[in-house]
Amino acid sequence: MSKSELERFREMSVAEFFAKYREVAGFSNPVRALYQTVRELVENSLDATDGHGIAPEVRIYIERIDSDRGWCRVTVEDNGIGVPPTVMPEAFGKVLFSSKYVLRQTRGMYGLGVKAAVLYGQVTTGNPVEVQSTTRGSSYIYAKKLYIDMKRNEPVILEEAQFKKNVSWHGTRVSLIIECDWQRAKSRILEYIRRTAIIAPYADILIQTPDGEVLYFPRTTKKMPKPPKTAKPHPHGVDVETLKTMLKATKAKTLLEFLEVEFQSVGRQSALEFLKSIGLRPTMKPKQLLRGENGALVVAMVEAMRSFKFRAPRSDCLSPLGEELIKVGLKRMFNPEWVDAVTRPPRAYQGHPFIVEVGMAYGGSIQPSEEPLLLRYANKIPLLYEEREDVSYKVLSDVNWKQYDVEMPAPLVVLVHVVSTKVPYKGVGKESISDVPELEAEIRNGVLELARRLKRFISAKEREAEVMRKILVLSKYIPEIARSLKVLSKDPGSWKPLEPGEERDIVDALVSLVARNIELPRRGDDSGRSVEDLIRSIISEVRVS
Amino acid sequence: MNVADMVDVEARRKAASILRNTMMRVLEDVLRGRPPKLVIPKRTLSNTIFDPEKGILVLGDEVFERNMLDMGETRRFMQTLLMASIIYQALVENEYPTIRDLYYRGKHTIIYRDLSGGLREENTWDEQAESDSAIRDIEVMSGLLREQMLILSKEKGKVVGNMRIRSGPDVIDLSKLGHGAYAIESTPDLIEFLDVDAEFVLVVEKDAVFQQLHRIGFWRQYKSILVTGAGQPDRATRRFVRRLNEELGLPVYVLTDSDPYGWNIYSVFKVGSITLSYESERLATPKAKFLGVSMTDIFGDVGKKPYLTEAERKNFIIKAKERDIKRAKELMNYTWFQTPRWRKELNMFLEKKVKLEIEALAGKGLKFLAFQYIPEKIQTGDWID
Repeated sequence: MSKSELERFREMSVAEFFAKYREVAGFSNPVRALYQTVRELVENSLDATDGHGIAPEVRIYIERIDSDRGWCRVTVEDNGIGVPPTVMPEAFGKVLFSSKYVLRQTRGMYGLGVKAAVLYGQVTTGNPVEVQSTTRGSSYIYAKKLYIDMKRNEPVILEEAQFKKNVSWHGTRVSLIIECDWQRAKSRILEYIRRTAIIAPYADILIQTPDGEVLYFPRTTKKMPKPPKTAKPHPHGVDVETLKTMLKATKAKTLLEFLEVEFQSVGRQSALEFLKSIGLRPTMKPKQLLRGENGALVVAMVEAMRSFKFRAPRSDCLSPLGEELIKVGLKRMFNPEWVDAVTRPPRAYQGHPFIVEVGMAYGGSIQPSEEPLLLRYANKIPLLYEEREDVSYKVLSDVNWKQYDVEMPAPLVVLVHVVSTKVPYKGVGKESISDVPELEAEIRNGVLELARRLKRFISAKEREAEVMRKILVLSKYIPEIARSLKVLSKDPGSWKPLEPGEERDIVDALVSLVARNIELPRRGDDSGRSVEDLIRSIISEVRVS
Repeated sequence: MNVADMVDVEARRKAASILRNTMMRVLEDVLRGRPPKLVIPKRTLSNTIFDPEKGILVLGDEVFERNMLDMGETRRFMQTLLMASIIYQALVENEYPTIRDLYYRGKHTIIYRDLSGGLREENTWDEQAESDSAIRDIEVMSGLLREQMLILSKEKGKVVGNMRIRSGPDVIDLSKLGHGAYAIESTPDLIEFLDVDAEFVLVVEKDAVFQQLHRIGFWRQYKSILVTGAGQPDRATRRFVRRLNEELGLPVYVLTDSDPYGWNIYSVFKVGSITLSYESERLATPKAKFLGVSMTDIFGDVGKKPYLTEAERKNFIIKAKERDIKRAKELMNYTWFQTPRWRKELNMFLEKKVKLEIEALAGKGLKFLAFQYIPEKIQTGDWID
C-alpha cells in the first residue's frame, strides 16, 4: 500500500474500507474467508500463548449451522494470556489504524485481522462476535457479544456477563458466524493446521470439522522458542509515516535525545554525527520537524537516515524457532529417515533484522516428488498460496540436486522460515516473500548447507548399502560353498569327511572369515550391530532347493 | 573284478585324489582363516603359446586368482567348488556323468532374503555354458581332463581298421564291424590296445568320405586304421589319434577339404585348439601330417603335375567366400602355419581364391581317391609336416 493510499485509508469509515478492501484482508470469497478467519483466530491464539511463554493449547471447531445459506460457526479457544475486559471491546470491535511504533515479531499484521473477520461475519450473516476471556490472575470469566458500528468504527456491546471462575483456565474463546464454503476450503485449512503443527511442535492443536472429523496434533516437545522482545525501530527501517508518528508521540525534548531514546543502534556519538551531516541542530525540538511544507523535513530526514552508517539492527527482538524445534516438527509430520535444520545468523535488510531458518527432511514416509516439497513460513505463519512467487521457491529451483546425490523424484522436504520485524512480503496478500537480495542469499546459504549435509548422509548411506550388498553377496553362497567343501573333504575310501570337516565347522570358519574382511561404516545411532550377526541372519534364511 | 574294471577304478582313484588335493587347499585356507582363492591358469588367447619344441599349443604361465571375498568373483568361486564336489562325488560313487548331467546335478535354487527383506531366488547356474565353464576351470586347475575325470560327452568320432581293443569288459575287433564303425568312446584313456596290424593312421575330416573309404576296403588294402572326427573332432577322437601315434608309433595322415576350415581341422589334430589349449598336452598329435587336399594337388607346382585336369578343375572347384579369405589370413598369423610349404599353400589360396571339397576327388572316381591319390601321396611323401 503506497503512502497516499494510507493517507486516504485514514479518512475512510470502516464500512467503506471493508467494502473496498475485503480482498486485501483476504476475505474475497467464502472459501478464502473461511480460511482467513481460521488463520486470524489461530494466529491470535498462538501469539497469546507462545508469545508469552505459554505452551499453546488451541481448539478449533467449525460447525455448519445453516447449510442452505452456507453459514458456519468458527470457534477458536486457547489457553493464552487472555484479554482484560476493559480492552475486549476495542480488541474485537474497533479497527485500529495507528499501531504502536515499537516493533515486535508477531504473527498478527495490521492489528486488523480478527476485526476483519468480525466485519465479514457481520456483513455476510449479520451475527455478532462472541468472546469469552479470562486473564491469568483474574477470578472471573468475562463474556461479551459485540459488533462493530461501521460508520463510527466503534464497538457496540450487545450482551455482556461475568462468571466466577472455578476452573484453572485462562485464555480466550472467540466464536464467529460467517458465510463460508467448507468443502472447497477444507484441504487448505487442514493443510494450514498441519503446517502450523510442524512449525509449532510444542503446541497442542485440535480441529473438529463440519464433517465430524477430528484432527489432533498432540504436543511433541516441551521445548519452546523464546518469546520475542520488543525493539525500537532502526533508523534504516523507518518510513515517513512512521517517523511522523514517532515525532508526534515522543516525549524527547531535543532531536539528539529523540534519536538516542527512540531508536535502536543509535548512540550519542552517532546521533551527533548524523545531525551534523544533515545540518540540524541537536537541540532542535522534535515537533519542529513536522512543521515543514508537506513534511519535507521529515522526508529529508528519512532519506538521510537510510544512507547514514548506523550500527546494524539488533536481532534480539526476533524469535527464531531453533534447529531442535524444526527437526522435531518435521520428524513428527514426515517420519523421515534423515532430518536436519539450520538457524542462520541474524542479518538485516533496509534496517530490518531477520533470521532465516531452514529445515530439510529426506526419506522415510515422505512421498517422492519431482520437486522438493516446500514448506514456507514467515514469523511462524505457514504460507500456502503463491508458492511460485516466493523467494524460497526461486532459491530451490536453482539448486542442482544431482550435485548433492539426490535423484529426482526424491522424498525431500524443505522448510524455510523467515523471521523478521518486517517480513518483505511480495503483495498485500502476504502469501509470498519477495526476493530481497540479503534474504535470498541467506535462504540459499541455509538450503545449500543442509544439502551438503544431506549429501554426506546419502553417500554414507550408499557406502553402507554397498557394504551390506557385499555382505549379502558373500553370505548367500556360504551354505553352498560349505556343502561343496564338505563333500570334497570326504575320504574317497571311507567317504567320511576330514576332521574338522563337518559342515557346521566350515560354515563357522567361512562366517568369521567374511566378517573379518568386511568393515561396516560407522554410524552414530547403531550399537552392537556386528557383521557376523548380519551374516548369520542372512544364512539362517537361505534355503537351497 | 576283471582287468577292464581295474583300469576304470584306477583312473577314478587317481582323478579323485588329484581333484580332492587341489580343492583341499581351499578348505585349508578357510579353516586357517586365510581368504580362500582358486589359482586358475588363464584360458585366454593371450595366454596361449605355441611351443615349437613340442609342436603344440600350450597354456602360458598367466594365472588369475578367483578370490572368494571378491564380490565380482564369489558366484564363480561357488560354482567352481560346487562343480568340483559333484565331479568328485561322481568319481567316488562310480558314475559316468555327462556334462549335461553335471549341469542338472549342480543346478540348485538358492532362496535368500535381500536387503529390503524380499525373498529372492538365484540359481547356482542358469545356462549350461556356466557349468561348462566351471568344468574347464577345474580341468586347468587340476590338470585333469574331463575324460580323465570320467565325464562323458557325445560320441562323434569313429574308427575301423586292423586292430583289436579292450573297452570295459569286452574285446572288440575293429576289423569286424561290417559296414559300421566303432564309435570312439568318451573315455579313450580306458581303451586298451591289444594287437594292431597297421602301418599308418588315416584321419579324414568328413564322415561321408570315411564311409566310402571303409566300404571300398581302403584300410584292408593298405593296412591302416581309418578315423574320422566328423567335422571338428571331439576331444575323445583327438586323444584316441594321439594315443595311436604316441603308443603304437603309427604315422598319422590327415585328409581334409582344401580350404581354410579343413586346414584348421588338421591344425586342431596337430597342435591343439586355440581356445582350449590346456588340452593339447594330452590331445594334440604334433607329428600328424597334412596329406591333402593341397592347393598344389589342384594346380600343380614346379615339378608336380596337378591331380585335376583343366576341365575337372572347372567343374570341381568352388569360389572362395569372403569368410574363407578372412580365415586364411588368420591362419597366416599362426606360427605353425608359417612354414614355407604352408605359406605357399595359403598364398596360392589367396591368389586363386578357390577351394575344393574332398567329395570332388571322390566324384572324379572313388577308386581314384582310394587307390591312386592317397597311396601315391603317402608313398611319394607328398604331404606337409
